[in-house]
Amino acid sequence: MSENQNTSNCRISRNVLIKAPGLLPMLYTPREIAEDLDVPETTLRDWLNHGAPHSRDESNHIWIDGKQFAAWVDSQRNARKKPTHPLQAGEGFCMRCNTIVKIQDGEIRPVKGHLRHLKGKCPICGGIVNRGIWNAGSAELSQG
Amino acid sequence: MLDRQNYLKVKLFLKFSRDVHGRSSLQISNDFEHLKALLLWAGSQSFGSVPTINTSLPDFLFQKVEKGLDQAELQRILDTNQRFLLWMKAMFPVEFQNIRLSWIMKISAISEGKEVII
Repeated sequence: MSENQNTSNCRISRNVLIKAPGLLPMLYTPREIAEDLDVPETTLRDWLNHGAPHSRDESNHIWIDGKQFAAWVDSQRNARKKPTHPLQAGEGFCMRCNTIVKIQDGEIRPVKGHLRHLKGKCPICGGIVNRGIWNAGSAELSQG
Repeated sequence: MLDRQNYLKVKLFLKFSRDVHGRSSLQISNDFEHLKALLLWAGSQSFGSVPTINTSLPDFLFQKVEKGLDQAELQRILDTNQRFLLWMKAMFPVEFQNIRLSWIMKISAISEGKEVII
């Protein structure tokens, strides 16, 4: 019987990320897999509570498939990567709202060489939003 | 799925190597990596019945040569596997009576005519 509980992201050490693909396609006990990955058994049991794939037999013993576990570790690595959103023309990052906003009343000031400084207001909180732009033209402001 | 008893025997051998022969953690780690080839080759079959497997262990490893395994590493893997099988035959003579000593001794010798392109 398979069971998955709290499916949140876990912090996986680099050592485990390297060793996990070497797990064999067989059923491990938590102690064996903890030894092979060189992590404390309590850490491994914590991962099991956070959704690492495992199953229990009729005696309620926990079994972990090595390949499934390696796939789960790999998915955790990818899950921790934050999605990126490159700033579009006229956008900036408001430090108060902690989000990307369209800069209002933007004003471009030269800094040095091709580097310009776009300064404007946040449409949500009204705070000042700054953004450095490279070789900016009027297109930055027309969309902002 | 691999045979769990095979895995447990490998683990026992590694513990024996560390406690009795005094092999270092790095050597134990390398030995385990080498013995994974034997575990994968045996698959779901017990080590007691490995001489009946159609593909020989060196041939199985030669398939891995194409994936970047060099000849020196191949020889080291075969030597470790031979050492393990000799230990296993000595420690569990009844269980592994089907494995003949001559078969074990043939393992580490790469057969004539095999060429490894590095």
